[in-house]
Amino acid sequence: MRQETKRILRRLFRNPSAILGFSLLTFFILVAIFAPLLAPPVNSFNPSMKLPDPYIMPVVSWKQEPIPPTTKKDVDPQKLGREPIRCIDYHPFGIIGGRDIFYGVVWGTRTAFKVGIIVTVISTLIGITIGSISGYFGGWVDEVLMRITDVFLSIPFLVAAIVLTTILGVGLDKVMIALIVFGWMGSARLIRGNILQVKEEQFVLAAKALGVRDVFIITKHILPNTIFPVVIQASMRMGSLVITAAALSFLGLGAPQGYADWGALLSYARDWMLEIGEHWYAIVYPGTAMVLFVLAWNLVGDALRDAFDPRLKG
Amino acid sequence: MPEPLLIVRNLKTYFYTEDGVVKAVDGVDFEVYEGETRGIVGESGCGKSVTSLWIMRLLDEKGRIVDGEIIFKGRNLLELSEDEMRRIRGNEIAMIFQEPMVALNPVYTIGDQIIEAITLHQNVDEHKARKMAIDLLRKVGIPEPEKRIDEYPHQLSGGMRQRAMIAMALSCRPSLLIADEPTTALDVTIQAQILELMKELQKEYGMAIILITHDMGVIAETADRVVVMYAGKVVEYADVKTLFNDPKHPYTYGLLTSIPRLDIEQEKLKSIPGVVPDPLNFPSGCRFHPRCEFFEKGKCDVSEPELVEVAEGHKVRCYFWERVDEVKKLEAEKV
Repeated sequence: MRQETKRILRRLFRNPSAILGFSLLTFFILVAIFAPLLAPPVNSFNPSMKLPDPYIMPVVSWKQEPIPPTTKKDVDPQKLGREPIRCIDYHPFGIIGGRDIFYGVVWGTRTAFKVGIIVTVISTLIGITIGSISGYFGGWVDEVLMRITDVFLSIPFLVAAIVLTTILGVGLDKVMIALIVFGWMGSARLIRGNILQVKEEQFVLAAKALGVRDVFIITKHILPNTIFPVVIQASMRMGSLVITAAALSFLGLGAPQGYADWGALLSYARDWMLEIGEHWYAIVYPGTAMVLFVLAWNLVGDALRDAFDPRLKG
Repeated sequence: MPEPLLIVRNLKTYFYTEDGVVKAVDGVDFEVYEGETRGIVGESGCGKSVTSLWIMRLLDEKGRIVDGEIIFKGRNLLELSEDEMRRIRGNEIAMIFQEPMVALNPVYTIGDQIIEAITLHQNVDEHKARKMAIDLLRKVGIPEPEKRIDEYPHQLSGGMRQRAMIAMALSCRPSLLIADEPTTALDVTIQAQILELMKELQKEYGMAIILITHDMGVIAETADRVVVMYAGKVVEYADVKTLFNDPKHPYTYGLLTSIPRLDIEQEKLKSIPGVVPDPLNFPSGCRFHPRCEFFEKGKCDVSEPELVEVAEGHKVRCYFWERVDEVKKLEAEKV
């Protein structure tokens, strides 16, 4: 067993892109864990006062003298509006909509993980359950479940998510529900196809001949032989889900106003699109975080496939 | 005669497909006594495997039993609930398969799989099951079982895998073992070893074996009594010595004369002309008549002969089995 683990680890860290993926992921995990240290959720006037909800970005304002240097000459810090301000000493990534971008990016990492993991895990579990029942039992069960899947697939994903979020109301949990409801079909189809193939294998018949129950035949004998494509797909979807969630936030449907979320940060920048050359930081920092997050999951997905696929074992 | 362990009586299994009804097994009778080896022999597609899968009740809903019963230890297996059947599978009736390469799950070590088989029907803890698994592996002749138990199927050779399969099948000391072409996928030297192993284990465990094969050589070596099947029907039924020395059915006779022999001078190997008929469309009358050298128009293609008992324990389904005798006599005079 230990030998097998060693082999998997060796495969996992064999190629440079896998190493890059895991380092990026580790970096994001560290940022998420140490968010309270990197961007302390405290009142900027009184550092001993904790913010009521660290996930709501505090509104930046300052009263200290002399006025902190900004790159924007004509700004009156007393009358901070929604416009972007670059002020490297106090707000390394700048300010937009009255919120510190650095704070938003750091705490937004937690939001990204939360959305990504919860949505992916739940929707994949739903997909696996439906897909494996459908594939294993076949017949009319398969027919009914697959037609339901088709119905869900026929609705454009983003439109469906927007409609459902609008019905449910604003809030991160509502976004997650919408993403789960319209996000399980891919894994269901994938696992069904694989099960149709594997259930004809002789070892499944052999397991039946030993008197193994249907439940255990699915979970112990069929799933381990079919699950890898689904796990890989899930890890890649983890990244792209964050983009979808950001898109919903960007449209104003996702996280509530001021919530630390990369998409919400980008939506502040929407009003400054025409002067984007001047206010590049408003897009580049949250945007880079998002791109790297997606890249990390995709690379990890690839690495997992190379390492775990039992058919590539030699 | 003691009560048979397993009686298959008038078993009929039809598959209802879109193209029509496939009469895969059409009235098969035989019985298996404790400790004996019952051979079922026939060409591919004659219904041997379907019969064995029905004894285990492992066919899906497409294949339906039309008639018949399978009595095992006094209980009709066809009437048991799925739950009761599961307690019999692997525990009282075990099965080994043709392809050891694909009959083992590639993601588990052979140890995991044998331990699963043990704990499924016996109330033992993991540690004890592992010890039992190692003993089993040793018994089936796998060297260094303590090490081999943690290996994956792909790390073992074909013969070793078949041994592991046998270990798995024997884990609960079944009283009946169904071996579906257990040696077909193995090369000849390994075949002999596996057959030898099965014989030894049969003696030790006192179990009955149903050996399904198309290989007359395997039958000669291991079976006690034989059922010859053709196109879903039993055509001949005899103990192994009688079958080889005195075949009565033209099909059996054809099978036996198409084995290459070293003891007689042969110009050309004999063979049975034609192929197994399409199960969707069996010939009328005797299903063997289009390929039979003793075919008589107006009789064989009109009505089907019944199984007749020509000697004690020797049954044949043919109108003209006496003619086979005559031909055999002629052949014998030639030599």
